[in-house]
Amino acid sequence: MREAYHVELENLANNLAGMSSQVADAMERATRAMLEVDLELAEQVISDDVKVDDARAECEEQAYALLALQAPVATDLRTVLAAIHAAESLERMGDLALHVAKAARRRHPEPVLPDAVRSYFSEMGEVAVRLARQAEQVIKTRDVDAARTIESDDDRVDDLHRHLFTVIMDKEWPHGVASAVDVTLLGRFYERYADHAVSVARRMVFVVTGKMPGYTSDDI
Amino acid sequence: MAKRIEVKDLDIYYDKFLAVQGVSMTIQPRSITALIGPSGCGKSTFLRTLNRMHELVPNARVDGKIFMDDEDLYGPGVDPVSVRREIGMVFQRPNPFPTMSIYENVAAGLRLNSTRIKKADLDELVERSLRSANLWEEVKDRLNRPGSGLSGGQQQRLCIARAIAVQPGVLLMDEPCSALDPISTQAIEDLMLELKSDYTIVIVTHNMQQAARVSDVTGFFNLRGVGQPGELVEIDETTKIFSTPSNKATEDYISGRFG
Repeated sequence: MREAYHVELENLANNLAGMSSQVADAMERATRAMLEVDLELAEQVISDDVKVDDARAECEEQAYALLALQAPVATDLRTVLAAIHAAESLERMGDLALHVAKAARRRHPEPVLPDAVRSYFSEMGEVAVRLARQAEQVIKTRDVDAARTIESDDDRVDDLHRHLFTVIMDKEWPHGVASAVDVTLLGRFYERYADHAVSVARRMVFVVTGKMPGYTSDDI
Repeated sequence: MAKRIEVKDLDIYYDKFLAVQGVSMTIQPRSITALIGPSGCGKSTFLRTLNRMHELVPNARVDGKIFMDDEDLYGPGVDPVSVRREIGMVFQRPNPFPTMSIYENVAAGLRLNSTRIKKADLDELVERSLRSANLWEEVKDRLNRPGSGLSGGQQQRLCIARAIAVQPGVLLMDEPCSALDPISTQAIEDLMLELKSDYTIVIVTHNMQQAARVSDVTGFFNLRGVGQPGELVEIDETTKIFSTPSNKATEDYISGRFG
Protein backbone atom coordinates (compact mmCIF):
# COMPACT_ATOMS: atom_id res chain seq x y z
CA MET A 1 0.00 0.00 0.00
CA ARG A 2 1.44 3.36 -0.99
CA GLU A 3 0.24 4.98 2.20
CA ALA A 4 1.96 8.37 2.00
CA TYR A 5 0.93 8.76 -1.61
CA HIS A 6 -2.73 8.23 -0.89
CA VAL A 7 -2.61 10.60 2.05
CA GLU A 8 -1.16 13.22 -0.32
CA LEU A 9 -3.96 12.61 -2.83
CA GLU A 10 -6.53 13.03 -0.08
CA ASN A 11 -4.88 16.25 1.06
CA LEU A 12 -5.12 17.57 -2.45
CA ALA A 13 -8.86 16.90 -2.59
CA ASN A 14 -9.30 18.41 0.89
CA ASN A 15 -7.50 21.58 -0.14
CA LEU A 16 -9.74 21.86 -3.15
CA ALA A 17 -12.84 21.45 -0.99
CA GLY A 18 -11.38 24.08 1.33
CA MET A 19 -10.98 26.49 -1.58
CA SER A 20 -14.63 25.97 -2.56
CA SER A 21 -15.68 26.83 0.94
CA GLN A 22 -13.44 29.94 0.92
CA VAL A 23 -14.86 31.27 -2.34
CA ALA A 24 -18.43 30.53 -1.23
CA ASP A 25 -17.82 32.58 1.92
CA ALA A 26 -16.18 35.32 -0.14
CA MET A 27 -19.15 35.63 -2.49
CA GLU A 28 -21.62 35.49 0.35
CA ARG A 29 -19.90 38.34 2.17
CA ALA A 30 -19.21 40.33 -1.01
CA THR A 31 -22.92 40.17 -1.91
CA ARG A 32 -23.91 41.26 1.57
CA ALA A 33 -21.35 44.06 1.54
CA MET A 34 -22.78 45.26 -1.75
CA LEU A 35 -26.44 45.02 -0.79
CA GLU A 36 -26.00 46.40 2.71
CA VAL A 37 -23.38 49.00 1.77
CA ASP A 38 -20.98 47.57 4.34
CA LEU A 39 -17.47 48.92 3.73
CA GLU A 40 -15.81 46.91 6.46
CA LEU A 41 -17.15 43.65 5.12
CA ALA A 42 -16.07 44.58 1.58
CA GLU A 43 -12.55 45.31 2.85
CA GLN A 44 -12.47 41.93 4.54
CA VAL A 45 -13.35 40.11 1.34
CA ILE A 46 -10.71 42.10 -0.54
CA SER A 47 -7.95 41.30 1.92
CA ASP A 48 -8.95 37.62 2.21
CA ASP A 49 -8.59 36.94 -1.52
CA VAL A 50 -4.86 36.38 -1.16
CA LYS A 51 -5.67 33.26 0.87
CA VAL A 52 -7.51 31.76 -2.10
CA ASP A 53 -4.57 32.60 -4.35
CA ASP A 54 -2.21 30.90 -1.90
CA ALA A 55 -4.43 27.82 -1.70
CA ARG A 56 -4.43 27.59 -5.48
CA ALA A 57 -0.63 27.79 -5.59
CA GLU A 58 -0.45 25.08 -2.95
CA CYS A 59 -2.83 22.82 -4.88
CA GLU A 60 -0.73 23.21 -8.00
CA GLU A 61 2.48 22.46 -6.16
CA GLN A 62 0.96 19.36 -4.59
CA ALA A 63 -0.35 18.18 -7.94
CA TYR A 64 3.01 18.79 -9.57
CA ALA A 65 4.84 16.84 -6.88
CA LEU A 66 2.40 13.95 -7.16
CA LEU A 67 2.91 13.81 -10.93
CA ALA A 68 6.67 14.03 -10.61
CA LEU A 69 7.12 11.54 -7.78
CA GLN A 70 4.24 9.08 -7.82
CA ALA A 71 3.35 8.56 -11.48
CA PRO A 72 -0.38 8.37 -10.72
CA VAL A 73 -2.62 6.40 -13.11
CA ALA A 74 -6.35 5.90 -13.69
CA THR A 75 -8.57 7.55 -11.04
CA ASP A 76 -5.55 8.94 -9.23
CA LEU A 77 -4.28 10.58 -12.39
CA ARG A 78 -7.71 12.04 -13.12
CA THR A 79 -7.86 13.39 -9.57
CA VAL A 80 -4.57 15.22 -10.04
CA LEU A 81 -5.51 16.58 -13.47
CA ALA A 82 -8.94 17.65 -12.27
CA ALA A 83 -7.42 19.32 -9.22
CA ILE A 84 -5.13 21.46 -11.39
CA HIS A 85 -8.06 22.65 -13.50
CA ALA A 86 -10.50 23.01 -10.63
CA ALA A 87 -8.02 25.01 -8.57
CA GLU A 88 -7.79 27.52 -11.39
CA SER A 89 -11.59 27.79 -11.65
CA LEU A 90 -11.88 28.25 -7.90
CA GLU A 91 -9.26 30.97 -7.91
CA ARG A 92 -11.22 32.78 -10.62
CA MET A 93 -14.34 32.48 -8.48
CA GLY A 94 -12.44 34.13 -5.65
CA ASP A 95 -11.40 36.94 -8.00
CA LEU A 96 -14.99 37.48 -9.11
CA ALA A 97 -16.11 37.79 -5.49
CA LEU A 98 -13.24 40.25 -5.09
CA HIS A 99 -14.58 42.33 -8.00
CA VAL A 100 -18.00 42.51 -6.36
CA ALA A 101 -16.43 43.62 -3.08
CA LYS A 102 -14.35 46.25 -4.90
CA ALA A 103 -17.46 47.64 -6.59
CA ALA A 104 -19.07 47.98 -3.17
CA ARG A 105 -15.98 49.78 -1.87
CA ARG A 106 -15.72 52.07 -4.91
CA ARG A 107 -19.24 53.45 -4.55
CA HIS A 108 -19.24 53.64 -0.77
CA PRO A 109 -21.07 55.31 0.97
CA GLU A 110 -23.50 55.21 -1.95
CA PRO A 111 -25.08 51.85 -2.80
CA VAL A 112 -23.83 50.31 -6.03
CA LEU A 113 -27.20 49.04 -7.07
CA PRO A 114 -30.42 50.93 -7.74
CA ASP A 115 -33.30 49.49 -5.74
CA ALA A 116 -34.95 48.21 -8.91
CA VAL A 117 -32.32 45.47 -9.41
CA ARG A 118 -31.44 44.65 -5.78
CA SER A 119 -33.67 41.63 -5.62
CA TYR A 120 -32.11 40.10 -8.75
CA PHE A 121 -28.65 40.39 -7.26
CA SER A 122 -29.83 39.10 -3.95
CA GLU A 123 -31.07 35.98 -5.69
CA MET A 124 -28.06 35.61 -7.99
CA GLY A 125 -25.81 35.88 -4.94
CA GLU A 126 -27.79 33.24 -3.12
CA VAL A 127 -27.73 30.78 -6.01
CA ALA A 128 -24.06 31.42 -6.78
CA VAL A 129 -23.04 30.76 -3.18
CA ARG A 130 -25.17 27.65 -3.12
CA LEU A 131 -23.44 26.39 -6.27
CA ALA A 132 -20.02 26.87 -4.68
CA ARG A 133 -21.16 24.99 -1.56
CA GLN A 134 -22.52 22.20 -3.76
CA ALA A 135 -19.22 22.06 -5.60
CA GLU A 136 -17.52 21.62 -2.24
CA GLN A 137 -19.81 18.70 -1.46
CA VAL A 138 -19.21 17.16 -4.87
CA ILE A 139 -15.44 17.36 -4.32
CA LYS A 140 -15.86 15.65 -0.95
CA THR A 141 -18.35 12.99 -1.98
CA ARG A 142 -17.57 12.50 -5.70
CA ASP A 143 -21.32 12.34 -6.17
CA VAL A 144 -21.95 12.45 -9.91
CA ASP A 145 -25.68 13.08 -9.57
CA ALA A 146 -25.09 16.05 -7.29
CA ALA A 147 -22.61 17.36 -9.87
CA ARG A 148 -25.34 17.27 -12.49
CA THR A 149 -27.71 19.23 -10.23
CA ILE A 150 -25.19 22.06 -10.20
CA GLU A 151 -25.52 22.29 -13.94
CA SER A 152 -29.29 22.76 -13.80
CA ASP A 153 -29.08 25.24 -10.89
CA ASP A 154 -26.68 27.30 -12.96
CA ASP A 155 -29.48 27.88 -15.47
CA ARG A 156 -31.24 30.06 -12.89
CA VAL A 157 -28.24 32.39 -12.72
CA ASP A 158 -28.12 32.57 -16.52
CA ASP A 159 -31.84 33.47 -16.62
CA LEU A 160 -31.40 36.25 -14.08
CA HIS A 161 -28.32 37.51 -15.91
CA ARG A 162 -30.25 37.69 -19.17
CA HIS A 163 -33.21 39.36 -17.51
CA LEU A 164 -30.96 42.13 -16.13
CA PHE A 165 -30.25 43.23 -19.68
CA THR A 166 -33.89 43.86 -20.40
CA VAL A 167 -34.08 45.96 -17.25
CA ILE A 168 -31.05 48.05 -18.20
CA MET A 169 -32.06 48.43 -21.82
CA ASP A 170 -35.43 49.83 -20.83
CA LYS A 171 -35.85 53.33 -22.30
CA GLU A 172 -37.14 54.45 -18.94
CA TRP A 173 -33.95 53.37 -17.09
CA PRO A 174 -33.55 56.34 -14.79
CA HIS A 175 -30.20 55.68 -13.12
CA GLY A 176 -27.72 56.86 -15.72
CA VAL A 177 -24.92 55.25 -17.68
CA ALA A 178 -22.48 54.68 -14.78
CA SER A 179 -25.04 52.68 -12.90
CA ALA A 180 -25.96 50.70 -16.00
CA VAL A 181 -22.31 49.80 -16.46
CA ASP A 182 -22.04 48.70 -12.84
CA VAL A 183 -25.12 46.54 -13.10
CA THR A 184 -23.94 44.99 -16.37
CA LEU A 185 -20.52 44.13 -15.01
CA LEU A 186 -21.79 42.85 -11.68
CA GLY A 187 -24.37 40.67 -13.40
CA ARG A 188 -21.57 39.26 -15.53
CA PHE A 189 -19.44 38.55 -12.44
CA TYR A 190 -22.17 36.39 -10.93
CA GLU A 191 -22.83 34.62 -14.18
CA ARG A 192 -19.12 33.80 -14.59
CA TYR A 193 -18.81 32.73 -10.98
CA ALA A 194 -21.65 30.23 -11.38
CA ASP A 195 -20.16 28.97 -14.63
CA HIS A 196 -16.86 28.23 -12.93
CA ALA A 197 -18.70 26.31 -10.21
CA VAL A 198 -20.24 24.17 -12.95
CA SER A 199 -16.78 23.63 -14.43
CA VAL A 200 -15.45 22.43 -11.06
CA ALA A 201 -18.35 19.99 -10.78
CA ARG A 202 -17.68 18.70 -14.29
CA ARG A 203 -14.07 18.04 -13.39
CA MET A 204 -15.27 15.86 -10.55
CA VAL A 205 -17.53 13.94 -12.92
CA PHE A 206 -14.41 13.35 -15.00
CA VAL A 207 -12.59 11.99 -11.94
CA VAL A 208 -15.34 9.46 -11.35
CA THR A 209 -16.34 8.46 -14.87
CA GLY A 210 -13.19 9.10 -16.89
CA LYS A 211 -15.24 10.96 -19.47
CA MET A 212 -13.60 14.17 -20.58
CA PRO A 213 -15.83 17.07 -19.61
CA GLY A 214 -17.31 19.32 -22.24
CA TYR A 215 -17.21 17.00 -25.23
CA THR A 216 -20.95 16.90 -25.46
CA SER A 217 -23.13 18.79 -23.05
CA ASP A 218 -25.59 15.87 -23.08
CA ASP A 219 -23.04 13.67 -21.35
CA ILE A 220 -23.00 15.69 -18.19
CA MET B 1 6.58 -13.58 -40.00
CA ALA B 2 4.71 -12.36 -36.96
CA LYS B 3 2.11 -14.86 -35.82
CA ARG B 4 -1.18 -14.48 -34.05
CA ILE B 5 -1.79 -16.42 -30.86
CA GLU B 6 -5.18 -17.52 -29.64
CA VAL B 7 -5.56 -18.99 -26.16
CA LYS B 8 -8.79 -20.73 -25.26
CA ASP B 9 -9.83 -21.78 -21.74
CA LEU B 10 -6.34 -22.63 -20.65
CA ASP B 11 -5.84 -24.31 -17.25
CA ILE B 12 -2.26 -24.78 -16.14
CA TYR B 13 -1.23 -27.44 -13.63
CA TYR B 14 1.84 -28.31 -11.61
CA ASP B 15 1.02 -31.96 -10.98
CA LYS B 16 -2.39 -31.82 -9.24
CA PHE B 17 -2.09 -28.16 -8.32
CA LEU B 18 -4.11 -25.85 -10.56
CA ALA B 19 -1.86 -22.81 -10.88
CA VAL B 20 -3.73 -20.78 -13.49
CA GLN B 21 -7.34 -21.16 -14.51
CA GLY B 22 -9.47 -20.30 -17.49
CA VAL B 23 -7.25 -18.00 -19.52
CA SER B 24 -8.58 -16.94 -22.90
CA MET B 25 -6.96 -14.22 -24.96
CA THR B 26 -5.98 -13.26 -28.46
CA ILE B 27 -2.53 -11.88 -29.05
CA GLN B 28 -2.32 -9.88 -32.25
CA PRO B 29 0.67 -10.08 -34.55
CA ARG B 30 3.01 -7.11 -34.75
CA SER B 31 1.97 -5.82 -31.36
CA ILE B 32 3.36 -5.86 -27.84
CA THR B 33 1.22 -7.46 -25.18
CA ALA B 34 2.28 -6.87 -21.58
CA LEU B 35 1.25 -9.17 -18.76
CA ILE B 36 1.25 -7.62 -15.31
CA GLY B 37 0.19 -8.80 -11.88
CA PRO B 38 1.54 -9.61 -8.44
CA SER B 39 4.19 -12.29 -7.87
CA GLY B 40 2.85 -15.80 -7.91
CA CYS B 41 -0.25 -14.99 -9.95
CA GLY B 42 0.90 -17.23 -12.79
CA LYS B 43 1.80 -14.76 -15.50
CA SER B 44 5.29 -16.24 -16.06
CA THR B 45 3.83 -19.72 -15.89
CA PHE B 46 1.30 -18.71 -18.51
CA LEU B 47 4.04 -17.22 -20.69
CA ARG B 48 5.93 -20.51 -20.57
CA THR B 49 2.93 -22.45 -21.79
CA LEU B 50 2.93 -20.38 -24.97
CA ASN B 51 6.10 -22.08 -26.23
CA ARG B 52 5.64 -25.35 -24.38
CA MET B 53 8.37 -24.70 -21.87
CA HIS B 54 6.02 -25.22 -18.95
CA GLU B 55 5.99 -28.97 -19.51
CA LEU B 56 9.75 -29.10 -18.89
CA VAL B 57 8.81 -29.08 -15.19
CA PRO B 58 8.11 -32.69 -14.12
CA ASN B 59 4.36 -33.47 -14.08
CA ALA B 60 3.45 -30.03 -15.34
CA ARG B 61 0.65 -29.94 -17.88
CA VAL B 62 -2.09 -27.84 -19.40
CA ASP B 63 -5.73 -28.19 -20.36
CA GLY B 64 -7.24 -26.05 -23.08
CA LYS B 65 -6.07 -24.83 -26.45
CA ILE B 66 -3.38 -22.56 -27.80
CA PHE B 67 -3.30 -21.78 -31.49
CA MET B 68 -0.53 -20.02 -33.36
CA ASP B 69 -2.26 -18.78 -36.47
CA ASP B 70 -4.10 -22.03 -37.32
CA GLU B 71 -1.68 -24.43 -35.74
CA ASP B 72 -2.76 -26.16 -32.53
CA LEU B 73 0.41 -25.93 -30.42
CA TYR B 74 -0.69 -28.77 -28.16
CA GLY B 75 -2.09 -30.90 -30.97
CA PRO B 76 -1.07 -34.53 -31.29
CA GLY B 77 2.20 -35.01 -33.06
CA VAL B 78 3.37 -31.43 -32.54
CA ASP B 79 7.06 -31.40 -31.65
CA PRO B 80 7.62 -29.08 -28.65
CA VAL B 81 11.10 -28.29 -29.95
CA SER B 82 9.71 -26.93 -33.18
CA VAL B 83 7.25 -24.82 -31.18
CA ARG B 84 10.14 -23.35 -29.19
CA ARG B 85 11.95 -22.60 -32.42
CA GLU B 86 8.95 -20.69 -33.71
CA ILE B 87 8.35 -18.93 -30.38
CA GLY B 88 11.55 -17.52 -28.93
CA MET B 89 12.12 -16.55 -25.34
CA VAL B 90 14.22 -14.01 -23.49
CA PHE B 91 14.64 -14.41 -19.76
CA GLN B 92 14.99 -12.15 -16.77
CA ARG B 93 18.70 -12.73 -16.31
CA PRO B 94 20.75 -12.49 -19.48
CA ASN B 95 21.96 -16.04 -20.16
CA PRO B 96 24.41 -16.09 -23.05
CA PHE B 97 26.21 -19.40 -23.40
CA PRO B 98 29.19 -18.58 -21.20
CA THR B 99 31.89 -20.44 -23.09
CA MET B 100 30.79 -19.28 -26.53
CA SER B 101 31.90 -16.16 -28.38
CA ILE B 102 29.48 -13.41 -29.24
CA TYR B 103 29.31 -14.76 -32.78
CA GLU B 104 28.71 -18.33 -31.68
CA ASN B 105 26.00 -17.26 -29.25
CA VAL B 106 23.97 -15.76 -32.07
CA ALA B 107 24.80 -18.64 -34.43
CA ALA B 108 23.97 -21.33 -31.87
CA GLY B 109 20.28 -21.56 -32.66
CA LEU B 110 20.92 -21.54 -36.37
CA ARG B 111 23.45 -24.34 -36.12
CA LEU B 112 21.03 -26.42 -34.08
CA ASN B 113 18.17 -25.87 -36.45
CA SER B 114 19.73 -26.20 -39.86
CA THR B 115 22.17 -28.95 -40.60
CA ARG B 116 24.03 -27.21 -43.38
CA ILE B 117 24.54 -23.52 -43.65
CA LYS B 118 27.25 -21.72 -45.58
CA LYS B 119 29.72 -19.65 -43.63
CA ALA B 120 28.87 -16.53 -45.65
CA ASP B 121 25.13 -16.99 -45.03
CA LEU B 122 25.77 -17.54 -41.35
CA ASP B 123 27.92 -14.39 -41.20
CA GLU B 124 25.14 -12.44 -42.79
CA LEU B 125 22.46 -13.80 -40.45
CA VAL B 126 24.58 -13.12 -37.37
CA GLU B 127 25.18 -9.57 -38.50
CA ARG B 128 21.54 -9.01 -39.33
CA SER B 129 20.42 -10.38 -35.97
CA LEU B 130 22.94 -8.28 -34.07
CA ARG B 131 21.86 -5.21 -36.04
CA SER B 132 18.21 -5.93 -35.27
CA ALA B 133 19.13 -6.20 -31.62
CA ASN B 134 20.92 -2.81 -31.82
CA LEU B 135 24.14 -4.47 -30.73
CA TRP B 136 26.14 -4.71 -33.95
CA GLU B 137 27.98 -1.38 -33.67
CA GLU B 138 29.11 -2.21 -30.14
CA VAL B 139 30.45 -5.71 -30.84
CA LYS B 140 31.37 -5.90 -34.53
CA ASP B 141 35.09 -5.63 -33.74
CA ARG B 142 35.08 -8.34 -31.08
CA LEU B 143 32.75 -11.03 -32.37
CA ASN B 144 35.11 -13.75 -31.22
CA ARG B 145 35.29 -12.56 -27.63
CA PRO B 146 33.14 -14.38 -25.05
CA GLY B 147 29.56 -13.21 -24.75
CA SER B 148 29.91 -13.25 -20.99
CA GLY B 149 32.35 -10.33 -21.24
CA LEU B 150 29.60 -7.92 -22.27
CA SER B 151 27.70 -5.66 -19.88
CA GLY B 152 24.34 -6.87 -18.55
CA GLY B 153 22.38 -4.76 -21.00
CA GLN B 154 24.55 -5.88 -23.90
CA GLN B 155 24.20 -9.52 -22.82
CA GLN B 156 20.44 -9.13 -22.81
CA ARG B 157 20.51 -7.69 -26.31
CA LEU B 158 22.79 -10.57 -27.30
CA CYS B 159 20.13 -12.97 -26.02
CA ILE B 160 17.53 -11.11 -28.05
CA ALA B 161 19.79 -11.36 -31.11
CA ARG B 162 20.12 -15.10 -30.46
CA ALA B 163 16.36 -15.44 -30.10
CA ILE B 164 15.56 -13.60 -33.32
CA ALA B 165 18.38 -15.21 -35.34
CA VAL B 166 16.16 -18.23 -35.97
CA GLN B 167 13.44 -15.86 -37.17
CA PRO B 168 10.66 -16.88 -34.83
CA GLY B 169 7.07 -15.72 -35.26
CA VAL B 170 6.68 -14.77 -31.65
CA LEU B 171 9.04 -13.42 -29.03
CA LEU B 172 8.33 -14.02 -25.36
CA MET B 173 10.09 -11.90 -22.76
CA ASP B 174 10.01 -12.74 -19.09
CA GLU B 175 10.94 -9.59 -17.18
CA PRO B 176 13.71 -8.84 -19.63
CA CYS B 177 14.77 -5.61 -17.94
CA SER B 178 14.47 -6.34 -14.25
CA ALA B 179 18.21 -7.02 -13.93
CA LEU B 180 19.19 -3.98 -15.99
CA ASP B 181 19.91 -0.32 -15.23
CA PRO B 182 17.61 2.39 -16.65
CA ILE B 183 19.82 3.10 -19.67
CA SER B 184 20.00 -0.56 -20.71
CA THR B 185 16.29 -0.84 -19.98
CA GLN B 186 15.59 2.03 -22.33
CA ALA B 187 17.73 0.38 -25.01
CA ILE B 188 15.70 -2.84 -24.68
CA GLU B 189 12.42 -0.94 -24.72
CA ASP B 190 13.44 0.96 -27.85
CA LEU B 191 14.45 -2.36 -29.38
CA MET B 192 11.09 -3.91 -28.53
CA LEU B 193 9.29 -1.07 -30.28
CA GLU B 194 11.44 -1.63 -33.36
CA LEU B 195 11.01 -5.40 -33.29
CA LYS B 196 7.25 -5.25 -33.09
CA SER B 197 7.04 -4.39 -36.78
CA ASP B 198 8.30 -7.93 -37.48
CA TYR B 199 7.33 -9.95 -34.44
CA THR B 200 4.54 -10.65 -32.03
CA ILE B 201 5.91 -9.75 -28.61
CA VAL B 202 4.59 -10.84 -25.25
CA ILE B 203 6.31 -9.43 -22.20
CA VAL B 204 5.88 -10.22 -18.53
CA THR B 205 6.90 -7.26 -16.41
CA HIS B 206 6.68 -6.08 -12.84
CA ASN B 207 7.39 -2.58 -14.01
CA MET B 208 3.99 -1.09 -14.69
CA GLN B 209 5.47 2.03 -16.22
CA GLN B 210 7.30 -0.23 -18.63
CA ALA B 211 4.05 -1.94 -19.57
CA ALA B 212 2.47 1.48 -20.05
CA ARG B 213 5.40 2.73 -22.14
CA VAL B 214 5.88 -0.13 -24.56
CA SER B 215 2.78 -2.26 -24.84
CA ASP B 216 -0.30 -1.95 -27.04
CA VAL B 217 -2.35 -4.33 -24.96
CA THR B 218 -2.06 -5.07 -21.24
CA GLY B 219 -3.37 -8.11 -19.44
CA PHE B 220 -3.74 -8.14 -15.66
CA PHE B 221 -3.33 -11.46 -13.85
CA ASN B 222 -4.29 -11.91 -10.23
CA LEU B 223 -4.81 -14.67 -7.70
CA ARG B 224 -8.47 -15.39 -7.09
CA GLY B 225 -7.59 -15.77 -3.41
CA VAL B 226 -5.05 -17.30 -1.07
CA GLY B 227 -4.28 -20.85 -2.23
CA GLN B 228 -6.49 -20.35 -5.28
CA PRO B 229 -5.40 -20.36 -8.89
CA GLY B 230 -4.30 -17.29 -10.79
CA GLU B 231 -6.57 -15.88 -13.48
CA LEU B 232 -6.60 -13.30 -16.21
CA VAL B 233 -8.70 -10.55 -14.66
CA GLU B 234 -8.77 -8.08 -17.52
CA ILE B 235 -7.09 -7.54 -20.84
CA ASP B 236 -7.56 -4.43 -22.92
CA GLU B 237 -5.77 -1.68 -24.76
CA THR B 238 -2.97 -0.33 -22.60
CA THR B 239 -4.37 3.21 -22.64
CA LYS B 240 -7.67 1.85 -21.35
CA ILE B 241 -6.05 -0.26 -18.62
CA PHE B 242 -4.02 2.68 -17.30
CA SER B 243 -6.77 5.30 -17.61
CA THR B 244 -10.13 3.67 -17.04
CA PRO B 245 -9.80 -0.06 -16.34
CA SER B 246 -13.10 -1.93 -16.13
CA ASN B 247 -12.20 -4.01 -13.13
CA LYS B 248 -11.65 -2.61 -9.65
CA ALA B 249 -8.91 -5.13 -8.88
CA THR B 250 -7.02 -3.88 -11.93
CA GLU B 251 -7.35 -0.27 -10.83
CA ASP B 252 -6.27 -1.14 -7.29
CA TYR B 253 -3.21 -2.94 -8.60
CA ILE B 254 -2.02 -0.28 -11.04
CA SER B 255 -2.68 2.47 -8.48
CA GLY B 256 -0.73 0.66 -5.79
CA ARG B 257 -3.81 -0.04 -3.66
CA PHE B 258 -3.05 -3.61 -2.75
CA GLY B 259 -1.31 -5.67 -0.11
